This record gives sequence, C-alpha cells and structure tokens, in this order.
Amino acid sequence: MTLSIIAVVAVTGAALGIGTYGVRLARTTSDLFVASRVISPWWNAAAISGEYLSAASFLGVAGLMLKFGASALWLPVGFTAGYLTLLLFVAAPLRRFGSYTIPDFAEARLPAPYMRLLAAGIVLLISGCYLVPQLKGAGVTLRAITDAPYWVGVVVVAAIVALNVVLGGMRGVTYVQAFQYWVKVFAIACPAILLLIHLGGLPARSALFGSEYPTTGPDGMVVELDRPRTLTFPDTGETRTVPAGELRLPPDTPVPVAAGIDAQTGEQWSRPVSESGRGSPLLIYSLLLATFLGTMGLPHILVRFYTNPDGSAARRTTVRVLGLLGVFYLFPAVYGLLGRAFTPELYVTGDTDSVVLRVPAAAWPGLMGDILAAIVAAGAFAAFMSTASGLLVSIAGTASHDVWPGRRRRRRARFRVAAGAGMVLPALLALATREMDISVLVGWAFGLAASTFCPLLLLGVWWPRLTAPGAAAGMLAGASVATGMIAAGLIADVAEDTALGAILLQPAAVSVPVAFGTMVLLSLRAPAAPNVGATMAALHVPEAQR
Amino acid sequence: MSLPSSDLTEATAHADVYLRRLRREQLRLALLSLVAFGGAIGALPLILYLLPGLHDAELLGVPVPIWLVVVPPFPFFLAIGWLEQRRADGLDDAFRDLLEE
Repeated sequence: MTLSIIAVVAVTGAALGIGTYGVRLARTTSDLFVASRVISPWWNAAAISGEYLSAASFLGVAGLMLKFGASALWLPVGFTAGYLTLLLFVAAPLRRFGSYTIPDFAEARLPAPYMRLLAAGIVLLISGCYLVPQLKGAGVTLRAITDAPYWVGVVVVAAIVALNVVLGGMRGVTYVQAFQYWVKVFAIACPAILLLIHLGGLPARSALFGSEYPTTGPDGMVVELDRPRTLTFPDTGETRTVPAGELRLPPDTPVPVAAGIDAQTGEQWSRPVSESGRGSPLLIYSLLLATFLGTMGLPHILVRFYTNPDGSAARRTTVRVLGLLGVFYLFPAVYGLLGRAFTPELYVTGDTDSVVLRVPAAAWPGLMGDILAAIVAAGAFAAFMSTASGLLVSIAGTASHDVWPGRRRRRRARFRVAAGAGMVLPALLALATREMDISVLVGWAFGLAASTFCPLLLLGVWWPRLTAPGAAAGMLAGASVATGMIAAGLIADVAEDTALGAILLQPAAVSVPVAFGTMVLLSLRAPAAPNVGATMAALHVPEAQR
Repeated sequence: MSLPSSDLTEATAHADVYLRRLRREQLRLALLSLVAFGGAIGALPLILYLLPGLHDAELLGVPVPIWLVVVPPFPFFLAIGWLEQRRADGLDDAFRDLLEE
C-alpha cells in the first residue's frame, strides 16, 4: 500500500515536472493552444495515445470483461477503428485547414456565426460528460490504494490537472501526455507479463473456459461488505439480501454474484460471440458502431491534429497511434482472465472496475505482488490525469476562444481562467454521483460525438455542397435523436443486454444516419456556396515540399 | 518554409481540374481502405457466431476466439493505415509534380 502511494506520487511528480518544463517553452498564444505545431510525429502519436487511453481503457475493459465476459473485448477494437477512420478521411485535410478548434473549423468551412457557437456548445457538453468519469475513477483508485475518503482523490486529481493546464497549456500537456503513454503501457504490460511467467499459465481453467462457476476455493471466502447487497447464489438459484459486514462463504461452492451481474459458467463467460445476451452479434455490431463513430468525433482527440507540422505529418502521426494503441490493448484481457481466477470476490462486492488494481497482489502474494500493484496503481493514475488534462485543454480552448471572444492580447489570460473554471462543474458532479453508475454519461458523450461531429467532419471535408443551415440542422437532429433515445432507454429501464436496450443506449446506429440524411437533404435544397472552391483547396491542396 | 496554398491554386489554369481529380482519388482511396477494414472487422463477429466449435480449439491454453479478438485486429489496422498513408502521400506528390510542370 505504501509502495502504491510512492509510485503514484512519483508518476504525478514527474508529470508535473515535465509540465513545468513545458511552461518555460510556452511563450506565445499558439504554444498554449496547439503547441506551435512543431511537435514531431512520434511525440504527437505518444501524446494522442496517452490522452486517449483513459480510465475506461486502463480499468474499464478488464472490469467489464470480468463482469460480463469476453464480449467486452470488442471495445478496444471499436476504440482503435475510430482512429483508422480519422486517418483515412480527416487527419490531413483538417491539419491543412489550419483551424485551432472544431468550432473554428465549423465556422471557417461553413461561414455562419451560429456554426461556431453550436459546435462550441457540443464540445463543452461532450468534454464535460467525459471528464466526470475520469475524476470518479481517480476517487475510487485513491480509495482502493490508501483508504482515503472518495472526495480526496477527486479533489487532488482535479486540482493537479487544472494547475497543469493553467500553467502549461497544450505544449506542456503534449510532453506530459507522451510521458504518460509510456507509463501506462509499462504499467499494464510489465505486471501482466511477469504474472503470467510467475504462474506458468492460467489457473482455475474450468471456471475460465469450462463448465464451472468461479468458486470460493478450498478455504472458503470471507468478503467485507460496506453496505447490504442483494446476492444471487448460482448453485441454488436463490436470491437474497445480505447485511453489511463480514460475509463468510463455505469452501468450494460457486461464488454468489451481486445485482446487475449474471452468474456464468466459464464456457459462457469466455465466448466473445454467443447466441444471446451481450455476446449476440446484434449487440456487438451496435457496440462496434457506437465506439468507432464516437471516437471520430471526440473533440479532445481532434484538436491534436492541429499540432502536427503539416498534413502528411498528421497522417504519419495517426499511423503511429494505431501501433501504440494496439500494443496497449493486448493486455487488458490478461487482467480479465486472471481476475476471474484470483479475485472472484469482486463478483460479490460488484466492484469489478478495480480488478486491474487488485489482481497483482492476489495472484502473487508478498513483496513482488505489492511492487506490481504499485506499478499498476501509478498507471491508473496516469490514465485519469492525461485524459482529464486533454479534456480540460479542449474545454478551456473552446470556452476562451469560441464562446468568450475578446482582444487577442488577453487570450492567454482567458484560456487560464477558463481552464480553472472548467474543472469546477465536472468535479462537483463527480462528488455528487459517488454511488451512481455513470456509464450512461460516457455513452451519451460517444453518442453525441458520433451524431454531430462525425458527419460534420466527413461531409465538411469531402462534400463541397454542404451548407451551414444543413449542417446545423443535421447536428441538432443527430444530437436530439441520440439524447432522446438514451433518455427513453433510461426512463423505460430497458436491460442493456437486450436488442432494444442496445439500440436505445448505443443510439449511433440510428442517430448517425439521421444526422447525415438531414445534412444532405437540406444542403441539396440550397444553391451551392460561391466561394467553396477556395475552401476545398485549403483542405486538400498538399503543402509545397520543404 | 511552405507556400500558402492559394499561391499553388492560382499557379496554373488547370489547377482546379487537377485539384478535383486529387480530391476524388483521395476519397476513392479512403473508401477502399474503409471497405477493406470494415469488411474484415465486420466479418469477425459473424465468423465466430457461425463457428461456435472454434471455442474448443486452444492456443497456449486460451480458446482461439479470444485470441482472434485480442490480437489480429490491431496489426491489421496498422497495416491498412500504413499502406493508406503511403498511397495518400504518393497522390499528393503526383499532384505537386503536375503543378510544377
């Protein structure tokens, strides 16, 4: 435990140190916003990957795999596919166009003042929704490694991130995030590899892949419950509520599962695709579509393309990102598999998101396990910090540049004020939702991104006929359909693992075609814009060779 | 030092035609790559669904379907991305050569 605190402090300190070094370099406004566009493809690729690999990737994938089974392994595939689409359609033209933010792009491509405000509003909404779970993850992690109250982690991470962004801007953040990518890869890969070598293979194979449920082991199991839980016992099928306190389970019996988890045999659990439930092909396609289109429209990712020196460098950066993400995503599955073998008590507490943090010490008792646990904890912290920093840069950039314009000279001051203020609301939300499952916020952020910015960028870059009224109506239609469907799913309380629930809670399959259709139909009715030739040239003419 | 793109566009009277052709070729390349990766990744869930027996085959003690989801998609994405980047840069180079003629 002490080791974990030391590791977290060391990584956070190093990140702050690099951020401060970046401050000395951040002299101009353009440094603060887009790192003066002098960052090399490798640095930029590591920074993009570092920013993108959030709590959801570091803790969430393994946690969902433990909870629901191997069907969760499609998540990283969708997350990465989004980058490939960015490379194919958006990276180089967006960089050439030379706007600072998405609202900049929206207004320059489709000259109408309301385009900027509309895009800015959506950026703030998506970034805010996505920032809350990062702060919650920080609170949960700090509590898991230090027993500190939940609010301490939230406040500490919010304060450090805000300070870093206020002082360093984008340039400081670029180096910090490149550093944090390597911290995260090391922190997830090294313990996984060492644990597999130490164990010499996977234990408890019949609970992993065979016909058995995870069991309590030869000595039984003692679980500490901090509040009453409704548990289902798979051997008898009985469901009952147990009080808070110590729960003693007899030896060699199947582990009971908390509400919201289905007890599965190894054979059911380990199938990435199955006949029904979360592994059914319909749900998997819906998941792939939602993650892949949503990634394309995440504003804190898109702003990164402006930090490349030219369009070709933007392409090279994105190819490197595909490689770096691929390396990282090899490992969450290891923690899912080991977690089912070594930490089945998480099925009882329902706290499956902490599986990555708990596996090392459980699978390798003693000093080595503690060291590995410390490494993993440091990586998890790097994950919250880097994603939260990227989101805050995007919030502050948009708020100070698009929503609250003013004299150029004051832009740095406005950026800093906006960065400080932009952290307050998400931090308060994170504190208020401690006991709530807020994965719906992330789903909403992805749904909004997929049904607004994804069509705006694709049509804006490739279709000269797109008009401002068409684009605005399309984004509003997409956002309303996505929001309405998620709200309907919540109000009707449909289960996520049914076909209806999958469509309602991952609305991209419906809302994205609606947005595209609205944009195309309304734009076709208007006459072609007169100056669109010059705009298209700015997007597609390659830079002269240097 | 890079030239502002407007200089390039005004460089010759043919630039407009060339640019439209470049845009169309880049879009075709991007769509082709999208079909390639969408087809392969889209087929994977269906293959695993239609061949449930794959689950009994194991590699290093782990069922083959898990390997198929965790490992091959990522090198595949990288390969497609790398090929597309080279082709797209090549199209840009050809456009520059055309303008310099």
